[in-house]
Amino acid sequence: MKGTVLVVDDSAMMRKVVLRILKMAELEFEAALEAGDGKEALALLRSNNVALIMCDINMPNMSGLQLLQQIKDEKLAVGVPIVMVTTENSEPQVREAILAGARGYIRKPFTVEHIKNNVKPLLAA
Amino acid sequence: MSESAAVLTSYRAKDFLSAENLDRADTVVTEIFKMMFDFDIQAMDLPSDACPPSQLDERTAIVGFSGSMRGSCQIRTSVLAAKSIASAMLGGVPVDDDDDSINDALGELCNMLAGGWKNRVPSLSSECALSPPTVISGHNYKVHMSKPSAKLSRRYQFDAHALHLTLYRENIEPAGT
Repeated sequence: MKGTVLVVDDSAMMRKVVLRILKMAELEFEAALEAGDGKEALALLRSNNVALIMCDINMPNMSGLQLLQQIKDEKLAVGVPIVMVTTENSEPQVREAILAGARGYIRKPFTVEHIKNNVKPLLAA
Repeated sequence: MSESAAVLTSYRAKDFLSAENLDRADTVVTEIFKMMFDFDIQAMDLPSDACPPSQLDERTAIVGFSGSMRGSCQIRTSVLAAKSIASAMLGGVPVDDDDDSINDALGELCNMLAGGWKNRVPSLSSECALSPPTVISGHNYKVHMSKPSAKLSRRYQFDAHALHLTLYRENIEPAGT
């Protein structure tokens, strides 16, 4: 897969898990960037072009939803699919994420099939 | 009465202590262990207040609940079991005893268990938030809640390891509800 994926999660373990499962779902990117919170992610997005963002919601310093808003405000990653990856599945939070620009939502725990069904179509579009 | 107070009283101690909540915990534990680690895990039949004595070289992960239910989800297991979980999360890559990924994996597991459990309780799903996980190394500690609490406990076994799950709920409602 061409391009770079950005994985944003405060857990280094979950970042590795996301990258491993993307690979298993035949979504191995040329390069991968990792950020431990929203601020790190913004810094990376200001100096890199990415093809996909996989983003946790509950993070210290800046939550995933605040990050989405900031990406929108700064017009970073325009047209890039952003998929939220979280243990939360409350409707208000999903709605808020979609309104802020998320294109997909995956609940932890997730499988290769979830990635194939929910992420792959976003990249093909 | 505020809206949040109305929600608080809607999830009562007797609801929390229902057998349904233990079933929910079993479902979540089984699902996560299968999906994330490909482990078969089984619940051991113990009374809800049973708490096996702690052992040396243990790790405990804690995730707090706030909102319509205050309390916590705690998982306790041996370092060996935590290593096994971390390794499985990484796709079978071995991890050392002092590897940070052991704590990270246990914290994430606790986060998924807490989230998975509360998402299955209709009155908590949207009304209860999770704290970031905290991991404790060591044994022979006591957890003191600021208020009296109800708890649900379950012991599980996977791949010759034991995992102890406890859900605490602080009693924040008026007496008699």
